[in-house]
Amino acid sequence: MSIIINWQYNIGHICTRQQCELGLGEKVAFRWISARQERIDYTFSDLDRESNRFANVLQSLGFAAGDILFTFLPKSPEQFFSFLGVLKLQVICGTLFSNFGDDALVDRLVDAKAKGIVTKKSFLKKIMRVRDQIPSLKYIIVTDIEEHLSADTLSYPALMREASANFIAPPTSPNTPSVLHYTSGSTGKPKGVLHVHRSILHQSRTASEVLTLNESDIYWCTADQGWVTGTSYGIIGPWSLGVTQIHYGGGYDAKLWFDLLQGEAVSVWYTAPTALRMLMREDVKLYKGYELNALRHIFSVGEPLNPEVITWARTTLGKDIYDTWFQTETGGIMITNRPGLVIKLGSMGTPLDGIDPAIIADDGELLENNIQGNLCLKTGWPSMFVTYLNNESAYNSKLKNGYYYTGDTAVRDDDGYYWFKGRSDDVINTAGHLISPFEVESALLEIEEVAESGVIGAPDELLYEKIVAFVQLHKQFSWSRELEVKIRLHISNRASSIATPQEIIIVDGVPKNKSGKIMRRVLKARYLGQDAGDISTLED
Amino acid sequence: MELLGKLNEIFCEVFDDDDIKIAPEMTSNDVDGWDSLSHVNLIVTIETKFNIRFSHKELLTFKNVGDLLNSIRSKITTV
Repeated sequence: MSIIINWQYNIGHICTRQQCELGLGEKVAFRWISARQERIDYTFSDLDRESNRFANVLQSLGFAAGDILFTFLPKSPEQFFSFLGVLKLQVICGTLFSNFGDDALVDRLVDAKAKGIVTKKSFLKKIMRVRDQIPSLKYIIVTDIEEHLSADTLSYPALMREASANFIAPPTSPNTPSVLHYTSGSTGKPKGVLHVHRSILHQSRTASEVLTLNESDIYWCTADQGWVTGTSYGIIGPWSLGVTQIHYGGGYDAKLWFDLLQGEAVSVWYTAPTALRMLMREDVKLYKGYELNALRHIFSVGEPLNPEVITWARTTLGKDIYDTWFQTETGGIMITNRPGLVIKLGSMGTPLDGIDPAIIADDGELLENNIQGNLCLKTGWPSMFVTYLNNESAYNSKLKNGYYYTGDTAVRDDDGYYWFKGRSDDVINTAGHLISPFEVESALLEIEEVAESGVIGAPDELLYEKIVAFVQLHKQFSWSRELEVKIRLHISNRASSIATPQEIIIVDGVPKNKSGKIMRRVLKARYLGQDAGDISTLED
Repeated sequence: MELLGKLNEIFCEVFDDDDIKIAPEMTSNDVDGWDSLSHVNLIVTIETKFNIRFSHKELLTFKNVGDLLNSIRSKITTV
């Protein structure tokens, strides 16, 4: 059955009102489990009513189609209500990781000319510190204060109390802008990946065809909503199909997670390789006694899934894990392992019907099987991003001869399976988060003692890649434990905790080419004890 | 400054939130942003500011702020 009824593509409407109209109003849309394990069930009627209220709140504040509002929240019910309410009004919803620091906030909010942000009291300090740098920001809506703090720093509960529960989403065309996620490149500021409401076609289809979700499932996606997986498959895909989710507000805890899988009778679980590798490190005795009879399938996304993890899951849990591949720009799963397809351990799987990848050489030549090259996708799938906000040249640079260049390199074997080989740029994938070395280097240079810096990703058993910073200090300073703390906290509070280097190596100089560009390739080779290759362009 | 106050200052600095008021029963679930990565920052900062070291084994036993306080207290008094 098509999810598009009467040409209404509005994601907020389809995930809430439409489910009610299909008779699922009293069905649980999600069970909220707080970090302290208090449980509250929200039906699709609740989801519809609360998102309607939020749409009315925004309308009363003067928000209109095309405006941009960000959520800057940890996982919480307000995250879902506001996201869907924003989309109902045809306002664009950007989602931010709650561990972002000042610089990360400014980069994104300024570029997007954000009109509003929904956040928690504990994050207000960060926003207030940079607010003067974000002239477009008219409203800060705080979810955990009971009364308004000022004319523009407003209480979410107070606003919602006054708002009508009735709202009808306007007819929304497939090309109406919807969701905005920022992603990092190896140079320059993060880029705003803009999606449109038609993405729901692919997100819904893949939630059904790949994740195998149906109306009787209890589904758990552990991804944060700051990540594309958290919106595409933690909100849009499952709710477009009327699927009940659980959303847990706490962090990683192996025992608690397995208590949830068993106790909540989760039938489909979508998580990340880093989390699975952490589970693999736990004492195997932990898993004895759990009966995961309800658990039909486990999926993973974020970074390549090592064969050892799949083997562990087979022996310890008696389950397969299906690794899926997609990017912020693709909006939904493109190449994937899935039930019914033989798993080749360590491979990305095969493309979905209608998705047309190619391996292309740097000169544009289409490569045969078993030859490594740029992983590209023929453009035109429904959840494809429509631009990098305010950065058309970066968007155009990713498109050549009808293909989108993903920035990943891969090979295709004779059976049509794809195998991830690495990145064609310097972007670091740490625990599924893409980190720009440039952003970390820039934050390092803000520190008084730091003269030069170069940042690379190095292989890591747990995180896939860890961040390693090479730092040259000004002559008058020397390395100390206090300086390490200063650097750690600066990066954590200016960029994000995820961007904090796992290793800081003090060097006499950072290798650069004759144009002054940091030669991260040379740093990486040195770190790994490998040949640095051609260094003819290295500065004297 | 008393131990609790000094540790509270460290929490405010690490988690970039001046409103944090720590208490012995608090866990990572009570502080926004206290995840595995920021936990490393917290431990390194505590070690540096108190001039102490935690063993890997000790780190695994910390279940809440009270455990951290007790461990710091025992290390300070034995120095």
